[in-house]
Amino acid sequence: MAEARMDVAAASSPMGTWFDHHLYSLVASLGRVFRKPWSALLTVSVMALALALPLGLWLVLGNVERLAGSVERSREVSVFLRQDVDDARARQLAEELRAQDNVAAVEHITPEQGLASLRESGALAGIIDAVGEDNPLPHLLVVAPAGDELMLAAALEQLPEAELVQHDVQWRERLDAWLRFGGRVSWLLALLLGMGALLVVGNTVRLDIQSRREEIGVLQLLGATDGFIRRPFLYLGAWYGLAAGALAIALLVAAGLALREPVAALAASYGSGFALGGIDPTWALAVIGGSTVLGWLGAGLVTGHFLRQTRPTGL
Amino acid sequence: MAVLRFDSVSKQYPGGREALAEVSFDVAAGEMLFLTGHSGAGKSTLLKLIHLAERPSRGAVLFNDRNLLKVRGRRVALHRREVGVVFQDHRLLPDRSVFDNIALPLILRGLRRGEIGKRVRSVLERLGLGDRERALPAQLSAGEQQRVGIARAVVSEPRLLVADEPTGNLDPTLSTEIMALFASLPERGTSVLVASHDLGLVKRMRKRVLVLDHGRLVDDIPPEDLADG
Repeated sequence: MAEARMDVAAASSPMGTWFDHHLYSLVASLGRVFRKPWSALLTVSVMALALALPLGLWLVLGNVERLAGSVERSREVSVFLRQDVDDARARQLAEELRAQDNVAAVEHITPEQGLASLRESGALAGIIDAVGEDNPLPHLLVVAPAGDELMLAAALEQLPEAELVQHDVQWRERLDAWLRFGGRVSWLLALLLGMGALLVVGNTVRLDIQSRREEIGVLQLLGATDGFIRRPFLYLGAWYGLAAGALAIALLVAAGLALREPVAALAASYGSGFALGGIDPTWALAVIGGSTVLGWLGAGLVTGHFLRQTRPTGL
Repeated sequence: MAVLRFDSVSKQYPGGREALAEVSFDVAAGEMLFLTGHSGAGKSTLLKLIHLAERPSRGAVLFNDRNLLKVRGRRVALHRREVGVVFQDHRLLPDRSVFDNIALPLILRGLRRGEIGKRVRSVLERLGLGDRERALPAQLSAGEQQRVGIARAVVSEPRLLVADEPTGNLDPTLSTEIMALFASLPERGTSVLVASHDLGLVKRMRKRVLVLDHGRLVDDIPPEDLADG
């Protein structure tokens, strides 16, 4: 009905109008960011910190999981046989264990192989040389479980040939429990701080709306729809979210670079080649995309509330 | 044909104050008329009912035979695009140039950019603001600001233009200029309703005058009666 007197040919197509209105809102929102750079920087920084905390925790957990993966070998159960068990019996026992359903693999390490391995590691070379020809090492069976490690370990302890059964199942289980706990904590933190980020954007946009009440009133009287009024604020929220996501990633990258060397040195001192993992570009893009949506949502909630409040009754 | 019709319209605000009582009148297409009365007579409320900033408590406001009581949601915005509004305090957007302020109604209507430029420049020339299109409102005189406000209200060729005390802050010479501008609009098909308490100015314009008093329409003076003095 509004276009009755306007030349229809002068109007853009609906798609063209939609595009023009979005372009108008995009430019208007950028103008608002650049007109108040310090306020924008403050908002983006607070949001970025709120995002960086749970994301940083996630990264730490990811690295711990990777480190834990490298000690997967600890699932294996080491069976040190009695000194009086000879080579033939050790081999026979290994074969018997291989035939069991709850055993995935058995590695038989003879006393000679054990000694050679120790000599190769170099750590105990002096002691080994002192031992001379009298090898004190027993036969060792390294058993990889196919099912429940605890049950298998208990069964192996019952073997009459077994002197000592060593396994790190409990240690693994505890680590897994801690990782699960850490994962849950990081989710909760992400939820809480994500809501915080949402509120930060919402509050900034609310202040912007307050300072533009009169302008919004004029736009409404000129015939602007709620969508037209809301759009620049949505873009504003999205800009804040985008910048905050990018800043959070930058902070995490910087923290990773600062920690990489000391972590590598620490790992090396334990004889491990572990190095801190970097940030996956897809993950980084997902974070930036997510924070952009978060900013958009925060702005949407506040502008929706404002428009409902300012609408005269019955309109 | 009436562009606007008030049919026994009353408006009561919460608290019981009656701003308008049983007001009835028509505005013909291409007519210019004045709405006058003392402060608090109900002029602003009447204008608010036209651009749907308020709803009547009783009666009907018809715009192009459309009952505004039934206009809701998104259609409120579409209705407002058909009514140009000029304010006493101009209400220009301070951080937008003259050009951008005037272009707003055309952007809302979804006109092509080239067409917007053409129409804005045309209205700027008509209102003597051709060299001010890049200026910000704060860089303009009061008279120029009011002309920009008028340009914004007429650029989309609305069916009806309502002006609330448009010369309230202007000197007599500028007021006469602004009124002459309004008087030129009906020949382009726009009806004009001007609320003013400047009786001298109203009489000089020799147009139909509606007189409100305590919310009641107490007089509807045709132009010929004013010409007779």
